[in-house]
Amino acid sequence: MSGSAEAVPLLEVRDLATHFHTRAGVVKAVDGVSFSLRRGEVMGLVGESGSGKSITGFSIIGLIDPPGKIESGSIRLEGRELIGLPSRELRAIRGKVISMVFQDPLMTLNPVLTIGAQILLALEAHEKVSAEAGRKRAIAALAQVRIPEPEAKVDFYPHQFSGGMRQRVAIAIALLHRPKLIICDEPTTALDVSIQAEILAEMKELVAELGMALIWISHDLATVASITSRVCVMRHGKIVETGPVLDVLTRPQHPYTQSLLDSLPSRAKPGTFLARGGGVPDASPPARRSGASPSRGSKADASYFVIQDVSKLFQTPPGILRLLGQKLGLSQPSRGVQAVDSVSLTVPRGEALGLVGESGSGKSTLGRMAAGIYAPNSGTVRLEGEPVMGGGARPHKNTTRIQTIFQDPFASLNPRMSIGDSIAEGPIAHRIVSRAGAAEYVRQWLAAVGLDPTFASRYPHQFSGGQRQRVAIARALAMQPDVVVCDEPVASLDVSIQAQIINLLMRLRTELNLTLIFISHDLSVVRHLCDRVAIMYRGKIVEEGPAGQIYDNPRHEYTRRLLAAVPVLPTAPPA
Amino acid sequence: MLGHILGRIVQALLVMLVMSALVFVGVYAIGNPIDVLIGPDVSQEMRLETIARYGLDRPLWEQYFTFLGRVLHGDFGRSFVFGMPVLELILSRLPATLELTLAAVFGAALIGVPAGIYAGYKPDSLLAKIIMAISILGFSVPTFWIGLVLIITFAVELQWLPAGGRGETASLFGVEWSFLTLNGLSHLLLPALNLAFFKLALMTRLARAGTREVMLTDTVKFARAAGLSEWTVLRRHVMRLIAIPIVTVFGLEFASTLAFAVVTETIFSWPGIGKLIIDSITSLDRPVMVAYLMLVAFVFITINFLVDLTYVALDPRLRKARA
Repeated sequence: MSGSAEAVPLLEVRDLATHFHTRAGVVKAVDGVSFSLRRGEVMGLVGESGSGKSITGFSIIGLIDPPGKIESGSIRLEGRELIGLPSRELRAIRGKVISMVFQDPLMTLNPVLTIGAQILLALEAHEKVSAEAGRKRAIAALAQVRIPEPEAKVDFYPHQFSGGMRQRVAIAIALLHRPKLIICDEPTTALDVSIQAEILAEMKELVAELGMALIWISHDLATVASITSRVCVMRHGKIVETGPVLDVLTRPQHPYTQSLLDSLPSRAKPGTFLARGGGVPDASPPARRSGASPSRGSKADASYFVIQDVSKLFQTPPGILRLLGQKLGLSQPSRGVQAVDSVSLTVPRGEALGLVGESGSGKSTLGRMAAGIYAPNSGTVRLEGEPVMGGGARPHKNTTRIQTIFQDPFASLNPRMSIGDSIAEGPIAHRIVSRAGAAEYVRQWLAAVGLDPTFASRYPHQFSGGQRQRVAIARALAMQPDVVVCDEPVASLDVSIQAQIINLLMRLRTELNLTLIFISHDLSVVRHLCDRVAIMYRGKIVEEGPAGQIYDNPRHEYTRRLLAAVPVLPTAPPA
Repeated sequence: MLGHILGRIVQALLVMLVMSALVFVGVYAIGNPIDVLIGPDVSQEMRLETIARYGLDRPLWEQYFTFLGRVLHGDFGRSFVFGMPVLELILSRLPATLELTLAAVFGAALIGVPAGIYAGYKPDSLLAKIIMAISILGFSVPTFWIGLVLIITFAVELQWLPAGGRGETASLFGVEWSFLTLNGLSHLLLPALNLAFFKLALMTRLARAGTREVMLTDTVKFARAAGLSEWTVLRRHVMRLIAIPIVTVFGLEFASTLAFAVVTETIFSWPGIGKLIIDSITSLDRPVMVAYLMLVAFVFITINFLVDLTYVALDPRLRKARA
């Protein structure tokens, strides 16, 4: 491809090995990575968590902290060896010739300094500027990354920006000194799809405009495909496959690349088990307690689970004085946030309803009201005619027939409780199982979610993310619910683990005849799992219908925008 | 903002009111001052007459409301022992304690915070380990023992510094201060050091923990990736980010030292309010005790309020978002 004689590549990495010396032994995070990058080239570095893709990026920019250490290999920038350079000289390169953008802009920007002050610090790192000139440069830098009203925004603090705007600020700082190479480590992972689409488009333009090279590190094959021309697939610290992005994604040579692609729900027929989702566990969940729900019928009931006109307003409780002022009519109550605004939904028995929306759309709040965690300000949630929440001044949930699976199993499992105790806690309290029978019950559930039943005595930190999510599923299902609210259950998992959890949910759903409310920002996962989809936007449902119809024939403007923003994987051209 | 401040003032007044009642009842329960005030050989009429003069024959609630009424006019009563107005008595002793406390707390912060930042920045260095060892010592060794060791070492053996008293004082704003004269400073050094030792350890450990945490954040990584020097990262990013817990503890320590510097003041015969309160407890000097405890409550409330205002100055997220 590179026919033009370009003697020295911009960046040449040879046999790079970065190891971490921990008490448990040496972790070979990067283990013999080689690639080179031409000027202005855009390369993707793809892999699952722990594959060493980020550490490769940090090695290039010289930010490996102990216990990490670059053991061997070479990193040449325009022919100049970077490994072993004194820290002064490395610092002169960082931000000037190579710069970096990180995943979460909320964590990277300093919350107590204004944007302008932070840009000025980055400027002063490499040149002498007066305060006056620095401010002008900061405003110009913000304008370059399409931040509206840069003259005013320069004095803002990070918390006054939205996530996408914050990431633009981080990119502005990275671009300040016109670097020849910019490394982006999962720069859009924390953002909504529509913001991600904007940032992707802008990055493409900026790269072309400024002629810099870009290394785009991501776990998401689709975003990588939409911005890069060449891609390296990493696993266990090694590059397993590299080549032009179209070739790698349409004709993968390495089995690992193939399995990554097979794990994606967007490439499978909706409702089928994902190819690489792992073997289906053979153990069946324990039998239901007899008479758990007397009115359990077999045929679909149209008014099975009904959410009627629910609204939720979040307000900060007023202080003593303000309360007094309100009583006397002197001050107005604070307006608060209308998270959910009179939403109605009906879910027939056994259906899987997908609830899709961007962050702040109210989908989680709606899910929590459906599950009886939050009491709605108005409206009702009923399961077979019975209200889910009892009334009164302090409303409480009065059924165990609805359970929830949360996004982060590490946060939702008690770290000081063995997982066996966590699973058994609810069923014992509600006399679904006797204290004596609890151990056997827990073992059955662990087997049913594909975990070794002897794990019951272990603690959450001894499990991987995927295993923890299986525990969380077992804990929710051990309550023998009829309806399960899943709040982004696969959002924090790698694609191959995500495929396993999706397969597990699909299997348990049919085996237990569960009704699912599946909340997600990921349109492809929802399409794969759900029969019907509701799109939420600013607290309201803008469109609702059978999954196929919504995806193929979106009627609402917002749905169309949302679908257009999702990066799509290139498919093999017809032979 | 103004409403917030107003609310805090109302809260403060309520706290003071509750505090005054608690203190009054508590002090009443300690003992009858009349036994201390007059000798056992005094005649019965004299005794009754004294009781009546101090109003001690009235029921407790009546005494309390008389007290409250006087306080509203700025009169905390007269000391039984010294025979002078309590407010005047306390204010005459306050500067001594104030300068001791300020010297101790600021000294602790000025040495402890940089030491802690260093220990957090280079946790594996020898100096960091020495700093942390000293800080453990500061935490675990009792104040009075360190005071005695300081006196034995610097006053008795080496004879570099005096063992007690305030030394020469100079007048500023009509108040006598020791730190204005060289001799006074030499008297101030040992007790201030003694009082600072525990706070020094506290500040060091806080600054170290904060620095270690902040150094691992993406904020610092991103700043380094932009090519900022380590010094700039520490000065502009780390110090700003660790400031809030340090300011909190600084405020609390300042208030508690001001109120309870008793041990150090006793060891070094420092004529501050700590000594005054101990003396007044032994002689059951009720007005002094009550006024002193009210003063302590007031100091705590004021300092907490100032700390809260500092938060808002340090962390823009606590300010109301701009529209």
